[in-house]
Amino acid sequence: MKVIEAEDLSKVFRVKQKEKGIRGSIKAVFHPQTEEIRAVDRISFSVEEGEVLAFIGPNGAGKSTTIKMLTGILYPDGGNVKVLGIDPTKKRKQLAYEIGTVFGQKEQLWTHLTPYDNFRFFGAIYDIPDGEMERRIEELSEIFELGLYINTPVRNLSLGQRIRCEIAASLIHKPKVLFLDEPTIGLDPVVKENIRALIRQMNKELHTTIFLTSHDIGDIEKLCKRIIIVNSGRIVLDDSMAHLKYHYLNKKTVEVKLHESVKLPSAEGITVLKEKGGYVKFEVDTAVMKIHDALRRIDTENVEDINISNIPLENIITDIYKSEGKTV
Amino acid sequence: MLTAVKNQLRVCLLSIKYNIMREMLNKVTFLTNIGFMILNNATFIVQWVILFSIKEEVGGYGIQEIMLLWGLAASTYGLAHVLFARVFSLPELIINGKLDTYLVQPKNVLLSVMTSATTASAIGDLLYGLMVVCIFCFSVRRFFLFLLFTVTGAVIMTAFALLLGSLSFWFVKTDTFGNNMVNALVSFSTYPDGIFKGAVRFLLYSVVPVGMSIYTPVDIMVEFDAWRLLKVAGYTVLLSAAAVFTFYRGLRRYSSGNLMEARM
Repeated sequence: MKVIEAEDLSKVFRVKQKEKGIRGSIKAVFHPQTEEIRAVDRISFSVEEGEVLAFIGPNGAGKSTTIKMLTGILYPDGGNVKVLGIDPTKKRKQLAYEIGTVFGQKEQLWTHLTPYDNFRFFGAIYDIPDGEMERRIEELSEIFELGLYINTPVRNLSLGQRIRCEIAASLIHKPKVLFLDEPTIGLDPVVKENIRALIRQMNKELHTTIFLTSHDIGDIEKLCKRIIIVNSGRIVLDDSMAHLKYHYLNKKTVEVKLHESVKLPSAEGITVLKEKGGYVKFEVDTAVMKIHDALRRIDTENVEDINISNIPLENIITDIYKSEGKTV
Repeated sequence: MLTAVKNQLRVCLLSIKYNIMREMLNKVTFLTNIGFMILNNATFIVQWVILFSIKEEVGGYGIQEIMLLWGLAASTYGLAHVLFARVFSLPELIINGKLDTYLVQPKNVLLSVMTSATTASAIGDLLYGLMVVCIFCFSVRRFFLFLLFTVTGAVIMTAFALLLGSLSFWFVKTDTFGNNMVNALVSFSTYPDGIFKGAVRFLLYSVVPVGMSIYTPVDIMVEFDAWRLLKVAGYTVLLSAAAVFTFYRGLRRYSSGNLMEARM
């Protein structure tokens, strides 16, 4: 079942333009000029129930604008959008009962209140009866291990503890779809891993659909099975993670440490990235040359250490950003 | 429908309660703010008492009318800023894209925004107004009328600020204009309307709604007039409707933002 359907979704921002200096400011008063910025440009996609989707792109690509249109924060300038069969522009309140949102850069919790009081407030917002609310808080406290600080004012919590509470608060009403906008921003690796584990658990046990935007490749690699890459307001790639890796991992990086300094013979399919003394780092395009053929060009007697690795996902995504989908 | 209204009211009351709890984090500051606001307002009584020892009336007002005027102006300002303080900083929320939190909640956006902050010192204004009417010009009917006009005045002041603040959806930098207009409303509400003539008087009964929020209610408290009371009620409803309509029209143009922020 499709839980999110977007068709030709568009959003245009009109931004005032001004020439530099005081003259420009005066001129702008009498002849104001605006430029239209197409933040989201006729994008179409759908998301199935229970899916964990990474919706990524460089800064200004239109990710947050898309999320904001899906959640009813922004009105689209064109196209249609349905989340759980509800049009966010027409029935924002009805949709809000069914979805949860976490904006890593924006706190929703009251900082002077404890997480417990915050959960009670959010419970009231979602019309949860008192008895049920207590059960739910207990349940979330257990899942997110909030017991130690559930009665400590939010302003006294660490960033990791706060984000845990933010996510827990967004789940108080058992949303069917959870929108996470940079949920691990500014967190240390241990807390990031904990948050990812919680998201995985939520998806597995509650079958919550997760719509994630993040600049953290770890979030994407460890959580998502499908990836949509947007750039300049357009979708440049919509693929499964497995297919993305298979499709783009036709390049291997080989790092060799040799006893003696040797120059690697040049050949088509091999690109030397770094060569210093006995250390050589080169890239093999496996579509042109098989990896074992490339390795044959090295004097194996002379090898002290060797490491063959895939191109990091981060590099693949950066290449896609740069190519703006020309290669897709 | 009734349950929805009840739930909405519950959230608004919780929000106001939490706002006051936030202001009470430092009890000394909280109480000092209230106490000094009462004292600050009280100093103006001295000024008017001295003036009335020289002159019997100013702009058609005697000392009792002036006390009613000051009391109502203070309590109106107080109630509006205790319950709906955020409306007075609405342009900042709109320009910096800080309405997101309220838009993802299944509740009325406007009410959620309005009740999301309070001003501690405004409690002093509210108490001062009630004290003045009880000490200087008490009668049971006048007291209940005073309570009613405190509500209508607070609604008019809030609606006026909402209407002007919502202009920020269309125009940048209207916040200064809006603040000046609301300050004008507050300033003019502490002087008897009889001293204003011609165009200024016309403005006070049209563009700046001080006539309907303060002057007419003071007249009604001095000499009851049911027809004028209805006019005040009608004006309150009309201005509120215009403000709410403008806010929701503007909300369609809301462009959000990506500033890092915390709900303080």
